[in-house]
Amino acid sequence: MESLTMEMVLVMSMIGLAIFLFIVEWVRVDVVAIIMMVTLPLLHLVSPKEAFIGLSSNAVVSIIAVIIIGAGLDRTGIINKLVAPVLRIAGNSASRIIVAISVTVAIISSFMQNIGAAALFLPAIQRIGEKQKIPVSRLLMAIVFSAILGGTVTLVGSSPLILLNDLLAPFGLEPFGLFDVTPIGLALVASGIGCFILLGKFILPGGDVNPEGEDNAEDDVGGKEKSALEEDEYYELSTPDDFTHYRDPLFVEDLRRRYLVTVLAITEPPDFKVVSPPPDMEVRSGIDLVVCGRKKDVVRMVENEGMILKDRLEKYSDTINPVKSGRVEAVVAPRSWLVGKTLKDVNLEGRFNVTPVSLYRHEESYRARLDDITLHVGDVITIHGAWKNLKNLQKEGGLLFGLPSDVDYMRPGKAAWAGAWLVVALVMIMGFKIQLSVSLMTGALGMILTGVLTIDEAYQSVDWRTIFLLGGLIPLGIATEKTGTAAWIAHTVLGLMGDVSPIVLLTVIGVLSTLFTLVISNVGATVLLVPLVVNMAMAAHTDPRMAALVVGLATSNSFMLPTHQVNALYMGPGHYRTIDFIKAGALISIVFIVVMIAMIRLVYGV
Amino acid sequence: MGRLVAEKVAERLGYDIISREILLEASRHFNIPEIKLEKAIHDAPGILERYRHTKQAYIAYIRSALVERVVNDNVVYHGLAGHLLLKGIGHVLKVRINADFEKRVAYVMNRDGLSEDEARARLVEDDNQRRKWTYELYGHDPWDSAMYDLTIRIDRLSIEEAVGFICKAAQSSGFAASERSKQNLKDLALACHVKAELVADFPNIGVTCEYGNVIVYCKAGDRGGAKLGRRLDELKRKLAGIYSVEMHSGVPAPPDAV
Repeated sequence: MESLTMEMVLVMSMIGLAIFLFIVEWVRVDVVAIIMMVTLPLLHLVSPKEAFIGLSSNAVVSIIAVIIIGAGLDRTGIINKLVAPVLRIAGNSASRIIVAISVTVAIISSFMQNIGAAALFLPAIQRIGEKQKIPVSRLLMAIVFSAILGGTVTLVGSSPLILLNDLLAPFGLEPFGLFDVTPIGLALVASGIGCFILLGKFILPGGDVNPEGEDNAEDDVGGKEKSALEEDEYYELSTPDDFTHYRDPLFVEDLRRRYLVTVLAITEPPDFKVVSPPPDMEVRSGIDLVVCGRKKDVVRMVENEGMILKDRLEKYSDTINPVKSGRVEAVVAPRSWLVGKTLKDVNLEGRFNVTPVSLYRHEESYRARLDDITLHVGDVITIHGAWKNLKNLQKEGGLLFGLPSDVDYMRPGKAAWAGAWLVVALVMIMGFKIQLSVSLMTGALGMILTGVLTIDEAYQSVDWRTIFLLGGLIPLGIATEKTGTAAWIAHTVLGLMGDVSPIVLLTVIGVLSTLFTLVISNVGATVLLVPLVVNMAMAAHTDPRMAALVVGLATSNSFMLPTHQVNALYMGPGHYRTIDFIKAGALISIVFIVVMIAMIRLVYGV
Repeated sequence: MGRLVAEKVAERLGYDIISREILLEASRHFNIPEIKLEKAIHDAPGILERYRHTKQAYIAYIRSALVERVVNDNVVYHGLAGHLLLKGIGHVLKVRINADFEKRVAYVMNRDGLSEDEARARLVEDDNQRRKWTYELYGHDPWDSAMYDLTIRIDRLSIEEAVGFICKAAQSSGFAASERSKQNLKDLALACHVKAELVADFPNIGVTCEYGNVIVYCKAGDRGGAKLGRRLDELKRKLAGIYSVEMHSGVPAPPDAV
């Protein structure tokens, strides 16, 4: 075995630094990758050319192409067309809904970025949940996990797998084909869905909904809260003729801040109806207004302010009518234009004529002073408005939510082209064995040429964070291999472990990858671990490709913490707590490793 | 000299006067030695204290005790930082009494039996500490007249005349308690109470209250988030007047937060 050199120490320090920064998150993960990209050549650990080779790697180009293809499919609504038939098949039973949607999501996710696949079904899931009176939390987690598991079905399903062939190339190992992982991936998806069907009651929140527990839940700040959608009602009120006498002026915003009640419509004297009034509109004498809120809050307001509560909607029964308007729970999407802005900046009332009612984030429901809150990905905003205004808001993008009526898609006529180009890309990969990046980029280019999406839309759809994360970490992998650090660590670890059987070694690698992916990104874990495990496998006379495959698969085994971006996005809509992920995720993670190792043994005979 | 003016104003208006008893009350209620509280409200925070947040905690106790007393109205508070501790309440008349430095020296020499140099040194030191104190904790210069409704210099104006001005101002319509300003004061009292209860464990939180709806602002990803949630549940049960509590983590506290 080689002795430890200064270069190895430097590489290990850089790995340590990267892991440290991934965990503490002082800078974003993609910035960590760029730090690596710049520092490694400065330390002469890689050549300048190698430092940036990641950006032109097959993996990065493939991911760009996959994202563009996904955006094209999304834009034509071709995938959304699957929603209706899938739901018809699913019927009313929770188990069937879970199976039908999970399978569909897993299939879509095997060709698209995971996060997109699950997002497509979120609105439908919310609607079904409401219609069938099944808590969304009961349905959503299975579907979210299926989106992650679906990423293991093909080699383009998730970033770690796309990356795998690039990481194997320096060792001269045979690359994996597009569907080489499919049997293992399908078994993983099946076992995941199976777990939810058989054990869902025990591991999923919302399995034991107890209406009696409402009062406690409501009173607890740290406890699980009911969503505004479930709890709030509409009330019509009027103000007496002397309402504004001898008092300070009262504004729409005051009612929210003081009584946690949202004004949806108000009369501007003499009788002009203002829907979604601006926060600074004054509440005048002798007018009618419609509010949305909890009964106790509305009663408190009526008593304190001397308003008159009507038995039902009268003047506004036409405006606030389920046919014309309603409430939706909208989720702030990744890379949304809303992220980092406050609701005051966004001005939903002024721009879209809709009213935010409440906001839900990380187990907390916010009603007071909503305007000051800076929006994050995964925040759930309950919004009231006329359906046509909500549709306009939906078209603006950035928010995921379902509407009772079908949404118009931008280019439904291009659906056939989008589908055709996907098929062309797949045929090129499978039939002609053309390299992944070239085939996928051909598909993406075809979509642009046939007008499925414009080139600018294609550029905009690419998530540069993912690109730089991949591109920046690849040189770290190169440095680890080139300086002999990977071999040194592998031999040292093997020396400590002693002689182990291939299955034990692969299991250890699987567990290690799972732990890594929970604390650092899946791409980071793959880049760091693949050179290491390939060296370990070669030294232990195990198939190095299988060792790399275990890493590529197990870095998708990220269910236990809401650190995976898909989990993080759905934490809000599902009203999940970290403990919910730990409970359900722990079981799925164990099942994942067992099924993966068993399938590798079965399929590849290790 | 300020104290003299305060006493006479209270006497003429028939109001209660409070000063040091605020410290006693805070000391009793939160179990902190009075001397520590006195130092907290007098001396500027040292470098170490800025990190240990003890001074902020003591100020929160003092503020809570003061607002609690003021909430019943008709009170003259004589002491440091009243204008900051009672910020945002419409019917509070904030007065700064100033005096010719030489006259203050003479007054202190007479009151405390000090030599002229000693009296002078003490006044300079006191003034410096107060200035630093308000600057460190509130980012304001206490001598900024914009922070007061009335600034009176006792020099050519006598104490009696000053008392007359103050009483007239206090009785003017601008300082009459309205429903809203009374509510604001009640809400401030509640916010101060919540802050005082939590400040020892969570020194960086901000608290606002409006009509009993308490919002606690804390840093995002605060590891104490769950613990803070539990404490808020307890407080909601314990303190009268709290209608709802929300914990806004990661949201910067607004300027009116205590």
